[in-house]
Amino acid sequence: MTYEDKLAGFNAHIDEGGKVEASDFMPDDYRRGVLKFIEMHANSEIMGALPERECLPQAPTLLRKMSLAAKIQDEVGHAQLLYRVAEDLGKSRASMYEDLLAGKSKFHNVFHYPVHHWGDVAIIGWLIDGAALVTQAALLDSSYAPYTRVLKRICSEEQLHLRHGEHITLMLASGTEAQRDLFQDALSRWWLPIIHFFGPRSNVEKDLLLRWKVKTRTNEDLRQEFLDRYVPKVLELGFTFPSPVPVESTGHWIVQDQDIDWAPLEAVKKNRGPETSRRLAARRDVYERHRWVRDVLAAPFTYAA
Amino acid sequence: METFEVFRRSGHKEPFEHCGTVSAPDAEMALLEAKECFTRRREGQHLWVVKRSDIHSFKDESLLEIAADKSYRFAEAYRDVVTKRSEARARALAFPEKSPSNT
Repeated sequence: MTYEDKLAGFNAHIDEGGKVEASDFMPDDYRRGVLKFIEMHANSEIMGALPERECLPQAPTLLRKMSLAAKIQDEVGHAQLLYRVAEDLGKSRASMYEDLLAGKSKFHNVFHYPVHHWGDVAIIGWLIDGAALVTQAALLDSSYAPYTRVLKRICSEEQLHLRHGEHITLMLASGTEAQRDLFQDALSRWWLPIIHFFGPRSNVEKDLLLRWKVKTRTNEDLRQEFLDRYVPKVLELGFTFPSPVPVESTGHWIVQDQDIDWAPLEAVKKNRGPETSRRLAARRDVYERHRWVRDVLAAPFTYAA
Repeated sequence: METFEVFRRSGHKEPFEHCGTVSAPDAEMALLEAKECFTRRREGQHLWVVKRSDIHSFKDESLLEIAADKSYRFAEAYRDVVTKRSEARARALAFPEKSPSNT
């Protein structure tokens, strides 16, 4: 059977809604595309732990500190699950990690931005995790089956994070004017990056991941679901959106394409976001300081007599 | 003869689940027996057999218990969001100058 025959068979399998396992035949572009996508997801989980970790000392109570630490632990756990799935596609965890630290691979735009105060924890836990959950839930039906199986676990934990984030948001929203200002300030800074989070409009003809149903929905479709779900919830708490301001029209909360400034996203994509180098340096530092742990685990284990 | 633990999966979206054991001289024979025992009615589309001696578990399963109060890891800890939501909505009305209709 020629490669072309195999490719035709693969395409037909996908068109019928078929799933793909790591040990199945897959076209090189499929393997590369899925690997890059899952690697980026894994990178984002581990880099995403950093902004929240920076906020840990500001937790207002011991319980909040413990619950935020537990959430950060979950995010790092997601990275572990995802790196394992990515490894089965043919790239070692060490090289994925080294590419991340060298700035050769990407992580999600929102983790390139600074955190200022506890209001940021509310935004990250509620709106950013909410945005992530919209995109991840859409991937539960991805054609790459090992990814969907770990996403099930990830989504159920994200659901809890969302509750946690909403809980923090509601405490601020029902608090003093100073507490409400914390949330408003964070919302004003994070709104544009959250809009960017879903990416620019998908190019349906050119996007191989959509063609092969690795991704099941377009970026704009996911952004719309997020806006419809969260904009009313933010408004009823009495907060105000900065540009791009969502406007209600024919039952949807719309953000006009021409109102979105894409320049900050372009910078982030080149790893030139406001916090990119500092966060990567922090990751590198941890990676080096923990080298001895990896060395110990890799060495043949012997019990002392 | 060896004891093999049998795992089957109903489809690509599901994890493998343990469904029983068979006794066989080798893995090939164990697979045949497992197929006849556990998938006669298409209960599985995928089948694994693993030598019982290759499976490891904690001697003391109380190690799986959570060591301290970590209720914040569970959804029940945040059940009061419903009441908090109406409190927050009411609070928002106390700040009319911040409401979007006035900006």
